[in-house]
Amino acid sequence: MAVCVSSTCDRDWNDQPALRKQIRPAMSATAVDLSDVSKRFDDVNAVDHVDLAIRDGEFFSLLGPSGCGKTTTLRMIAGLEFPTEGRISIFGDEMGLRPPNMRPVNTVFQSYALFPHMTVSDNVAFGLQMRRLDRREIRRRVGDALELVQLTGRERRRPNQLSGGQQQRVALARALVNEPKVLLLDEPLGALDLKLRQAMQLELKDLQTRVGITFVYVTHDQEEALTMSDRIGVMDAGRLLQVGVPEEIYERPTSPMVAEFIGDTNLLPATVKADGQIELVGGQIVGADITASPGAEIMVTLRPERLHIVDADGSFPDGHNAIDGTVARRVYLGNAVTYGILAGNVTLRVRVRNAPGQRQFDVGRRVQVHWAGDAAVLVERG
Amino acid sequence: MTGTGSTVQPRGLARRLLAANAWLVYGFFYAPILVLIALSFNENRLVGVWRGFTLDWYAQMAANTAVLRAVRSSLIVAAASTVVATVLGTAAALSLERFRFRGRRAFDALLYLPVIVPDVTMAVMLLLFFVRVADAMFVVSGAQVRLGLTTITLSHVAFNISFVAIVVRARLAGMDPTLEEAAADLYAGRWQTFRRVTLPQMTPGVLGGALLALTLSLDDVVITSFVSGPGSTTLPVYVFGLVRRGVTPLINAVSTAMLVASMALVLASVLLQRRRGPA
Amino acid sequence: MTRTLVPEDQPAPPEASQELERRAADARSRRGLWIASAPAAYLVLLFALPLLIVFVYSFATRGTTGQTILADWNITAYARLFNPLVREIVLRSVGYAAVTTVISLVVSYPFAYYIATRPARMRNVLLVLVMIPFWSNFLVRTYAWRVLLSSSGPVSQLTQLLGMGQTRLLFTTTAVVLGLVYGYMPFMILPLYAAIERIDLGLVEAARDLYASGARAFWRVTWPLSRPGVVAGSILVFIPSLGAYVTPEILGGSKTTMLGSYIVRQFLSARDWPFGSALSFVVTALMLIATLVYFRTGGRTL
Repeated sequence: MAVCVSSTCDRDWNDQPALRKQIRPAMSATAVDLSDVSKRFDDVNAVDHVDLAIRDGEFFSLLGPSGCGKTTTLRMIAGLEFPTEGRISIFGDEMGLRPPNMRPVNTVFQSYALFPHMTVSDNVAFGLQMRRLDRREIRRRVGDALELVQLTGRERRRPNQLSGGQQQRVALARALVNEPKVLLLDEPLGALDLKLRQAMQLELKDLQTRVGITFVYVTHDQEEALTMSDRIGVMDAGRLLQVGVPEEIYERPTSPMVAEFIGDTNLLPATVKADGQIELVGGQIVGADITASPGAEIMVTLRPERLHIVDADGSFPDGHNAIDGTVARRVYLGNAVTYGILAGNVTLRVRVRNAPGQRQFDVGRRVQVHWAGDAAVLVERG
Repeated sequence: MTGTGSTVQPRGLARRLLAANAWLVYGFFYAPILVLIALSFNENRLVGVWRGFTLDWYAQMAANTAVLRAVRSSLIVAAASTVVATVLGTAAALSLERFRFRGRRAFDALLYLPVIVPDVTMAVMLLLFFVRVADAMFVVSGAQVRLGLTTITLSHVAFNISFVAIVVRARLAGMDPTLEEAAADLYAGRWQTFRRVTLPQMTPGVLGGALLALTLSLDDVVITSFVSGPGSTTLPVYVFGLVRRGVTPLINAVSTAMLVASMALVLASVLLQRRRGPA
Repeated sequence: MTRTLVPEDQPAPPEASQELERRAADARSRRGLWIASAPAAYLVLLFALPLLIVFVYSFATRGTTGQTILADWNITAYARLFNPLVREIVLRSVGYAAVTTVISLVVSYPFAYYIATRPARMRNVLLVLVMIPFWSNFLVRTYAWRVLLSSSGPVSQLTQLLGMGQTRLLFTTTAVVLGLVYGYMPFMILPLYAAIERIDLGLVEAARDLYASGARAFWRVTWPLSRPGVVAGSILVFIPSLGAYVTPEILGGSKTTMLGSYIVRQFLSARDWPFGSALSFVVTALMLIATLVYFRTGGRTL
């Protein structure tokens, strides 16, 4: 099997062996390229000038709150909507007005969209039949696909005779059996309960590694995105705010929106002083590991788990920043305790692990909150 | 609402009154029909007084050439108008539910009008229309256009398109549009998507619409009597002519036959839907 | 298998990328128009055009031998609508239709409520039992009442047996309204059922929890929520009752003439087509207004 090293390599994707692990090319080609793509519905900018290159073989998540444009972006890649402006290419092929049935991608729909009048195997065989594959070939590939999603033996069932999790697997098999170059998934786990969803997250990631197909995954669940993705693109109000690996997105958010949406954080308005120091609105001077131009109005983001509490007269490591405050709130979470510490005119959320020997504090106690210099991240003020 | 005996169910007297009312309504619905059926087997020529069981009136009906000719006309008109109206009504429903196009709103309104316009007005409209068309044809080509089965069929199609479209639209509206997107995503072209996904999904709606069209065509008296010519009466028009002159055992027999036929049609459709299950 | 997919459309040139969406929408629009064209053409030719002809005829003149003279436009036919005889017929028709609607509503509401509160399995059977007579031949169902009510018929025999003497109901207002209620009540039951069945049981329970008695919970929760069904059912009964022809012809007499019969008479016996056209047009306009009111009050289906 030929290994594709550049986007110009003309790989016949119909001829790939069924769902076999693919050798990942050293230099990743671009699987999906969005160039200045916008989509307007009446007067609403659903997608606003998005530039994005998704690499071949990666698990890419589009993450954002509902209505942020992530599903519209996915539907434009699938060919179910056409961009108002901009261009979309898949493996170097400009898609233009090409209808969905002429694109080398398949979609797992949020509602699964399983054909209720067909059996499980007819559903899975549908795409192959439309492409007029040989009957025996279809039967073989449907069997393989159902085995892959562990639904062997359910071939003759109707979708409404299956559980939600099983329907989800049928939708997955129905898309994967076609060996698309790119698999698009629109919140495929949204309808499942928490336990099943967590199990499916690991399974999906594992599946993606095995089949080696590029996955574009739309979700509003940040934990899901962090768990599965190679890279994440965070969207809000139609704009693509930041693209990066999960660590980058979590540790180095570039905007308050990303910092707040991914995980829990304390966002504090601040200004950069002439000497490069950062002054919080309350007047405290803090250190941060990113420099900014003097006079700039910025936000400082502090993750609650990177903050520590000591007594008002307690000591903390050198190089740490510290603020005095009072314990205003204490919430017991089992594996951790979160505190609300009133410091000046802001309340800082601090998360302390619930471990043996870990000191805990009562409400009303005067304390100091301290953190390492690199825990504070500066972001532009939204 | 579910579950009898919960707190939200009326109790005591209210409950009894509701049940009594329900049974009275069913009695009101069925008593006249049952009496009519029973009297069609009455030997007595004086309809109201029971004298004994007989099948004579059915024998008379079967030998009556006027009745038979009317039955034949009715069946021809009903079959032809149902097929045409179902095809056109389904096309109308599809275009309105699945596409945005110029003039869509005007078409939507035009499609609703025949449902609202009373039978009598519709009859007047079509009579005047056919008279004008006949005049025009005579002037242009000297051809004589006569009122008959063709004009009846054309008229039945005109009012049935709308009823079929409404039933099919309801079905299409309840159908998940992502199914069609999924088909397109799985390499189905427009025609394949329609044939493999849309059509099977909307078939119950199309059958329901066709059944409604068939029933309305077999029911119609007013419009048909306006646009029919000599020798082209349908069964309801023929029976209506007889009924106006009074009650006879022959009409009872013909009426019972018509009732049984229409009830069989409804029961068949109910059973058909039950066997198909919730599609 | 070495089949590859050939794109249907060539990729658009880069400078045309902003046109893509519009072109896609145009293609869909053309397809929609193409599918709509056949039924639309049929309705324009055999519905809109005939309606226009009726409108034109309503301004024509009746010749001395009953032929219609189109040359001389006038509003004589409309002026005749204010003639006392015509006014009486119009008022009577509206009255019959209103009484029919009210009776249907009063009987159907508790009936629909009863069905909607049965267990799901039973509900379907009860509904089918409503549908069967509803789908049966209308003419025959009306004829059945003629048999029942005739002077020697079962109803009369029953009253005689009870010593109340012979009843003479046929050809009276009672007979006509009875026939109209019998014919059109299912139009009331079905939307009422749909509206009541849709009401969330939890809302009634919430009302009871907030100290409402059963009756107050009904008046403050169930009844307002079922009002769309009441409006829909009332219009669905009122419209065909107003334009009824078969029912008054079979069960009514000369003193119960309704608009439908009066219009038919203008065409089939009096041969006054302009007047008949004017009447038809006015009845249609009345029904259109009623329907628009229905849609304004939030009705969705007919």
